[in-house]
Amino acid sequence: MTVLDDLGPYVPGMLLLGGGALLATLLGAMVPGLQPLVVAVALGVAVANTAGTPAVAEPGVSLHKLALETGIVLLGAAIAIEELVAAGPTVIGLVVVVVAGGLLLSEAIARGVFRIEGTTPSLLAAGASVCGVSAVVAVGRVLEARGAALTYAAATVLLFDAVTLVAFPLAGEWLGLTGRQFGVWAGLSMFSTGPVAAAGFAHSVEAGQWATVTKLARNSLLGGVAIAYSVAYAARSATDPEARELWAEFPKFLLGFLLVAAIANGGFLSPAAIESITATSDGLFLVAFVGLGLSIRVRELRAVGLAPVGAVFVHLLVVSGLTLAAVRTLL
Amino acid sequence: MTDENGDGSGGVEGTRLARRWQALDRGWQALLLGLAVVAVHLVIQPF
Repeated sequence: MTVLDDLGPYVPGMLLLGGGALLATLLGAMVPGLQPLVVAVALGVAVANTAGTPAVAEPGVSLHKLALETGIVLLGAAIAIEELVAAGPTVIGLVVVVVAGGLLLSEAIARGVFRIEGTTPSLLAAGASVCGVSAVVAVGRVLEARGAALTYAAATVLLFDAVTLVAFPLAGEWLGLTGRQFGVWAGLSMFSTGPVAAAGFAHSVEAGQWATVTKLARNSLLGGVAIAYSVAYAARSATDPEARELWAEFPKFLLGFLLVAAIANGGFLSPAAIESITATSDGLFLVAFVGLGLSIRVRELRAVGLAPVGAVFVHLLVVSGLTLAAVRTLL
Repeated sequence: MTDENGDGSGGVEGTRLARRWQALDRGWQALLLGLAVVAVHLVIQPF
């Protein structure tokens, strides 16, 4: 057994992702105004919902999440820390208010207005307020939610990921937002990390960077939210150490992003190296977005019930409306 | 768009390196890959 044997099963899927990324780049270069990242998602959706992903390509295609997170780590090289520090307190303040307020709002809407019971409102609230499906899974694990509730909540989040991925860049263009305003708005309002980054970069490079950074700040609250839910439901084991639970839920790639940002801003990288690392990050995003598209199954999204969709829709309208007003005023 | 941890962890077969890699959380995998890319750039494109 050699390392090449280890890689063998991943090759077909990696070729599929790479081929999709190449095709998206070519189409983006041929048609003015067409964003390669958006084309990459569209190509993935088209393949997944027509021919389907070949079984032999599944292991390689599953690497798209790793590609996204590695792309985010490398994005650190393109981030100007001075700019972040200047806007940091405002953005962090907005993130904390949006996550805490969003959780309470979502719970109130789902339970009070749409009469959804059990753990589903909490799963929907976590997915919509923190970081999409990963938050649904993390909070679901803490609350020992049933498989059906998890599937329902995850499918609802995925449905909104697909819709907002198209709607937000259009709205940003129509509203005439600056790159920073749009990026922070998308980072505060949309759900999963991949679609947030894709929507941001579909607007502009600046928006993509701000969207990713804002979303990472939201993601970093997942551990705390999971702990808060476990305490609220009194489902947590008394012997389970809090710090370990927090650490288990913490997205570790965020540390990589900060480390690479520190290396780049510390002057250790040459301009050519920063340019090359940023290009590598862009390439990884393209590959990740083909995989993101391949994971969207229109048929599965149609099966989502009306009540969760209604609850999340109201949440999204209120949160995106308030955050839009906030970014226009504060940034 | 699922975000569960651990990628490419289909089984425990393979070389020792592969088993160690698959045992890592996906966030750590991304961090290590990213730092490896930066390290390569530090070597091949120095100031």
